[in-house]
Amino acid sequence: MKKVLLSALLSAAFVFGIFSPGFCEVGITDTEIHIGQWSPQTGPAAAWGAVARGTDAYFKWINANGGIHGRKIVHHYFDDAYNPARTIAGVKQLQERTGIFAWVGGVGTAPGLAVKDYLMAKDVIWVGPAAGSRNWLTPPHKNLFNVYPLYLGDAQLLNEYAINELGKKKIAVVYQEDDYGEQGLEGTKFTLKKYNMEPVAAIPVALGDSDMRPHAMRLRRSDADAVLLFVTPIAASRIIGTGKAMNYNPQWMSTTTCADCPLMMDITQGLYADVITANFGMRDDSEQVGDSQHINNPKMELMQTYKTEVFDRYAARDERWGYTFSLGIALAEPLVEAIRNAGPDLTHEKVIKELENLENFKGMLGRISYGPFDPEDPLTRIGQQSIFLHQCTEDGGSVILTDWIETEYIPMGE
Amino acid sequence: MIDFIQMIISGIAVGSSYALMALAMVLIYKASEVPNFAQGEMALLPVFIAFMIIYSYGYSVFAAFFGALVFALVLGCCLEFAIVRRAKNSNVLGLIIITIGLEMILLGFVSWKFGADERVMPSFPISSYDSVMFGDFYITTIDLLTLIVALVIMISLFLFFRFSKFGVAMKATQQNETAARLMGIRTNRVKMVTWGISGTVGSVAGLLIAPVIMDPYMMWDPMLKGFAGAVVGGMTSLPGAVFGAYIVGIVEHLFGGYVSMDFKAVVAFAVIVIVLCVKPSGLFARHYVKKV
Repeated sequence: MKKVLLSALLSAAFVFGIFSPGFCEVGITDTEIHIGQWSPQTGPAAAWGAVARGTDAYFKWINANGGIHGRKIVHHYFDDAYNPARTIAGVKQLQERTGIFAWVGGVGTAPGLAVKDYLMAKDVIWVGPAAGSRNWLTPPHKNLFNVYPLYLGDAQLLNEYAINELGKKKIAVVYQEDDYGEQGLEGTKFTLKKYNMEPVAAIPVALGDSDMRPHAMRLRRSDADAVLLFVTPIAASRIIGTGKAMNYNPQWMSTTTCADCPLMMDITQGLYADVITANFGMRDDSEQVGDSQHINNPKMELMQTYKTEVFDRYAARDERWGYTFSLGIALAEPLVEAIRNAGPDLTHEKVIKELENLENFKGMLGRISYGPFDPEDPLTRIGQQSIFLHQCTEDGGSVILTDWIETEYIPMGE
Repeated sequence: MIDFIQMIISGIAVGSSYALMALAMVLIYKASEVPNFAQGEMALLPVFIAFMIIYSYGYSVFAAFFGALVFALVLGCCLEFAIVRRAKNSNVLGLIIITIGLEMILLGFVSWKFGADERVMPSFPISSYDSVMFGDFYITTIDLLTLIVALVIMISLFLFFRFSKFGVAMKATQQNETAARLMGIRTNRVKMVTWGISGTVGSVAGLLIAPVIMDPYMMWDPMLKGFAGAVVGGMTSLPGAVFGAYIVGIVEHLFGGYVSMDFKAVVAFAVIVIVLCVKPSGLFARHYVKKV
């Protein structure tokens, strides 16, 4: 009797443990795929919480359309208030208690860095950290797939445009005192060096500082004719506004972080018109230099679909359709594509392979490509390197200023 | 020299909103002997109420601001009556914890109800970034308005404390609560109204910041700087708090302009440390010494 029972148990273990791949993969069952994400829903960076809400609405839409190969996505997102200690606690809890197959997005460099080593040690896939930091690629990791173009690239393109197209001779940088701002400053110095130039002023902005008058005064004193802003949207609006109040009107330029023209026009009370920013997506292939764009009336068919199918149906009533919300969708697209391509027998390795196979993948952002993992080559995990510039207009839209331009990867220490 | 004078002007401009917050904090400190860390959020909620009145109900900005100030008065009274007064026999530390708790509750409520998106107060009649030029110097119209409003409130408070019966009762309660009660003053009511007035004064600062930017954390910096100003001037002196707040604004600007922008945001707290080392009760507060 005992032998029969033992045989039955061993058979069951064999059948369910070996022949069923879902059993040995963390975060996957026959009906569900568990995907994790953190974002600040409260705290000073809470405006970026829309990234996770965008991803959530996107996953709900996918589930409503049958899921992926019959599996529903279970999206676990939590509020870390942009506090790395809370990010660590939340990620560990979800990873170890619930079991997460892959992480997506994840707002902020500091929270991301706090959990990067943990996630990599756990051999978990992480796609699209929501910050353009070189830290995701230094060194590259097999499981970490960058999507967001690096701020270093924003700096290159903005400076080159200011010098070559606008003929600016004196460029100043205002940078937030963190990884975001410092990479902007580094990218600026790197690019200006090619032209035997230096920033005429490099002015730090402390996080939480709400008074930008001294910063604007220093800018005016530097007599810069172009100013690059690597700061938050609020700080950018205050600097531009204070500049206007003191009759100082250089060419203001900023990054993808401040590229949401409707929002920026609103909070600057119209002063953001003519500001040039980097942009990394939401541009249809048919749109050319000189064409106008408006996020509320996108020409890109995919974006129209997301607006009507995802945002209108699944976003909360008070949610704002903007770049931050749609970025949440865009950052998740490569992961969804890879899971879909991996087929019904989903495994960690298959998804990695399918991500590596992505070449010129076009979702809402630019072209995204990865390659077979090479620990010496960050470009195998960089995702998107091309960006373009646009200039905000009075109506909250923008005019496209450049084609997609591939930026140079600047290794650490150069 | 032009830059120096401009920095002084800008320091005074920013110091006006700090001064209003400092006044609000000192009023409560004198009444309840607690630094009120919920002061910023007591101003924040009325600001968002004003926003709601304009945005959702379509009322004019003046009606909305009036409504917000009335709300601030009631909110302050309610917080004192319903929460602070109930903390029986609590020491200063306990009261501080209560104000921090109130701060988190109010902040959480605003974030939940109104969201975290950045915005500006709609329909405000003065552009936030128009300026008035005096030769080479400028001051934004909103800063000028804040400066004037701050001066009017300071003078009003001075007259109120000096000449009104209730103001004198408030002063008496603040100086010696037991003696005031024995003289027939209803000290609990006086404290409650003090909280209401304090909330209203703080809300004026909030309403004048809102046309520049509105988000749930908009009052954090002014509250901290106002607190710094109040400590520098002396937590029990209304003129001292105002003076301290302007000092903080000016020092911040001069430090940022000439020394280091990196530490501009924290220089106010260095000023606190220096002042407290030299004069522990603040620059203007009287230091009572009990003879034994």
